[in-house]
Amino acid sequence: MKKFGNFNIVALVVGFSFLYIPIILLILFSFNESRLVTVWGGFSTKWYVELMQNQGIKDAAWVTIKVAFISSTVATALGTIAGLVMTRFGNFRGRTLFSGMIYAPMVMPEVIIGLSILLMFVTLAIDRGMLTVTLAHITFSMCYVAVIIQSRMSSYDDSITEAALDLGCTPFHTFRLITLPIIMPAVVSGWLLSFTLSLDDLVIASFASGPGATTLPMKIYSMVRLGVTPEINAVSTILVGLVTLGVITASIIGRRQKNTN
Amino acid sequence: MTETTTTEPWLDSNQKPYIQIENVTKKFGDFTAIDNLSLDIYKNEFFSLLGPSGCGKTTLLRMLAGFERFTEGRVLVDGEDITEIPPHLRPINMMFQSYALFPHMTVEKNIAFGLKQDKMPENLINQRVEEMLELVELTDFAKRKPSQLSGGQSQRVALARSLAKQPKLLLLDEPLGALDKRLREQTQFELMDIQEKLEVTFVIVTHDQEEAMTVSSRIGVMDSGKLIQVATPTQIYEAPINREVADFIGDVNIFKGVYKGQDEKGTQLLSEDSKSIIYATQKVDVPVGNRIWFALRPEKLEITKKLPEVDCNILKGKIEDIGYGGSFSTYHVKLENGRQLTAIRANRERTAEHHLTWGDEVYLHWAPHSAVVLLS
Amino acid sequence: MNIKEIQIPTFLKRIFNGRNTVISIPYLWLLFLFLFPFIIVLKISFAQPVLAMPPYTDLLKWGESWWPTIQASFDSYLFLFSDSLYIHAYLSSLKIAIISTILTLIIGYSIAYSVAKAPTQWRAILLMLIILPFWTSFLIRVYAWIGILKTEGLLNLALTTIGIIDKPLIIMNTDLAVYIGIVYSYLPFMILPLYANLEKMDMSLLEAAADLGCRPLKTFWTVTIPLSLPGILAGCFLVFIPVMGEFVIPDLLGGSETLMIGKVLWGEFFYNRDWPVASAVAIILLAILVVPIMFYQKSQEKAIS
Repeated sequence: MKKFGNFNIVALVVGFSFLYIPIILLILFSFNESRLVTVWGGFSTKWYVELMQNQGIKDAAWVTIKVAFISSTVATALGTIAGLVMTRFGNFRGRTLFSGMIYAPMVMPEVIIGLSILLMFVTLAIDRGMLTVTLAHITFSMCYVAVIIQSRMSSYDDSITEAALDLGCTPFHTFRLITLPIIMPAVVSGWLLSFTLSLDDLVIASFASGPGATTLPMKIYSMVRLGVTPEINAVSTILVGLVTLGVITASIIGRRQKNTN
Repeated sequence: MTETTTTEPWLDSNQKPYIQIENVTKKFGDFTAIDNLSLDIYKNEFFSLLGPSGCGKTTLLRMLAGFERFTEGRVLVDGEDITEIPPHLRPINMMFQSYALFPHMTVEKNIAFGLKQDKMPENLINQRVEEMLELVELTDFAKRKPSQLSGGQSQRVALARSLAKQPKLLLLDEPLGALDKRLREQTQFELMDIQEKLEVTFVIVTHDQEEAMTVSSRIGVMDSGKLIQVATPTQIYEAPINREVADFIGDVNIFKGVYKGQDEKGTQLLSEDSKSIIYATQKVDVPVGNRIWFALRPEKLEITKKLPEVDCNILKGKIEDIGYGGSFSTYHVKLENGRQLTAIRANRERTAEHHLTWGDEVYLHWAPHSAVVLLS
Repeated sequence: MNIKEIQIPTFLKRIFNGRNTVISIPYLWLLFLFLFPFIIVLKISFAQPVLAMPPYTDLLKWGESWWPTIQASFDSYLFLFSDSLYIHAYLSSLKIAIISTILTLIIGYSIAYSVAKAPTQWRAILLMLIILPFWTSFLIRVYAWIGILKTEGLLNLALTTIGIIDKPLIIMNTDLAVYIGIVYSYLPFMILPLYANLEKMDMSLLEAAADLGCRPLKTFWTVTIPLSLPGILAGCFLVFIPVMGEFVIPDLLGGSETLMIGKVLWGEFFYNRDWPVASAVAIILLAILVVPIMFYQKSQEKAIS
């Protein structure tokens, strides 16, 4: 059996310490009795209790969840179509532009995306609020979904679709009964990624949102600018916990599906 | 199966072809995949399309299934023009090379899929699925997913699925290509049994000439989008139409030379190899001096140490190589001019009475009626 | 593959006469919400700021004639080039992006290589551990470093307690803190493409090199690195391009002298409310990034197909 080399062990230990120590410390100090983030004053959950009483944070969390849910669902539908168009529709006029519009948002600096989408809303006199944030999030999330679907489809056997057509299934039903169930794990992971991207986004939301539609990252950002507090640690811990739970569940579902298939 | 007219309908001008492929052409951009091809296939035939990869056989099959558009020409099935009918409405089913089983459905769901599309009542579907499972001997595997099946089992599920709808025509794309040799040979006979039992017309695409010979009623040999020869396996093997077919089906020794006319022993060829006249019984109708070829199957070449007591077709050479194949041995014999011929001899005796070994000087000869005269 | 797909049969075209409809749904969405906004940014960058809502002049002036007069103003661009702050910000962003890409590459390569070389049963879990922080909030991960790097923060506390230093290190609000933040936040983006590439690499190639008498370190430089070039490029693009316009990290960890163009843009927009200048800043940043973005798109398309 293969064993770890010395260099590899050191690289992994140092690398993972670097990745995880900040998060672990963040979680640890959310349970700190003391208001000072550097002095351990004993274990306490009082910051979580305080968090529960902070109406501003609760409102922001609710807005964020609504935006994330709607935007990830629409983005998954649009992105799945886009991914299929990229892989199964051959050449069509404007394909290069289409592929450019799918790949560019993934690396484009967020300030540029945020600024441009905001200026468009202003030009069209669309009031900024939850709707505009949701539209913005759909736009960049769908690109990630499209790429996930695209890479799934590259290992998809075309003759499976043909077999369904051959057996008398109409093209639409073939998509519903055959293609979609087979690529479902990719669709689900696309949805999860879109959801966390939306949950995470500060910059684009700051541009696209308006009064009454403060998202959780925007709220946290304004709190952070005022200083480090255990309360921020507490809300961060909750977010990290939820995401970790989600990712682990998703990977367990994915692995089980792989085993039964 | 009792009358000769039904086993060889293509010889009977009263029989109406079941599948009529008329002047079909398929172009992919500048590339012509199928070149003005016409072919009649009769009911209950087991027809093989045989050819090297890229010859257009799979394209033709996909056109019959409806996955490729016709550039020109049309196809009739049982008198009905299906050229413009989409695949899901054609009375034709296909078994895919990759089997294309739906990975998220059990074996029985896979088989039932086509029937469900026809809105067949549930109880009839179940009954039909049961029949199909019995036919391919997979009753115990009904609840399994495709990933839990072996290659041979997957192949049978794919066959059962494509037969479940009782298609007028079943297309099989390299159906046995993914199986190992033993299983492939066994499955060939199963396939023939099933075809006879269900009386479905089969069109199979294969690059394996042995497979085509074993299973087919007729073989169409294709190259570069054209049919070169359509005939029974025996005719293809014993009377190939040109060097290409002769070379593609089995091993063959080709003698190149000039036509010197006919005499009582048959057609005379001045061989380039031996610089002597060699004979074939078959007559030809070309001017003297034309370039012609003799094709001779290796098993029709006699190999002896003693000078054979015949009056023609004797060549002298030296054994270069021996391939022991159990029931037979293959000998590579080098002629004086350096040309190498292949001869096959059945190993009838266990001990080597007529023991031939490397470096032996031997004589090769053949009966004039064993050779085929080819004009191209 | 293309040949087969171009030849979608007529009947399919007929049924799917929806084909174009299907294409047009995501296409129009992206056209309208991604591409069209850039045209507006371009337009506004040629306008002049005014105290109004929206705070810029119209590019087209509808006078008495049938045709509008175009009132393009290059003031914003002239302003960008006359004030050295902007040029410095671009150059400083470029410097920070290049240095942090290199740092991320070195650290990311060591980790990706070690994971790819790890025993098979460990790889999945190690990869999962790398991806996990990538799913958690960017903002939270940057925030976590504030508590560590501040002058009275955990790092200084730890170092003084051990006795390595007696005066606290000033890291917070310096470029060093920005580098730490960027490397930390973008590390998974570097590791994932590198790992995907290194994992597929045929290890027998390394054995062949060793067999032919190549020393391990030389094998690494002459075989491993060149073969993993596609992964290196993908990772570098994924880090370099977004870092060029990074806002959160310089804003939270950097000091007042940390100049990055993303922060400048944010300031022009939210604090100065000079939308034409903010637009001009974005257009120039985009012009700098358009070539790397196109390279990235090409390399990704090749990787997928």
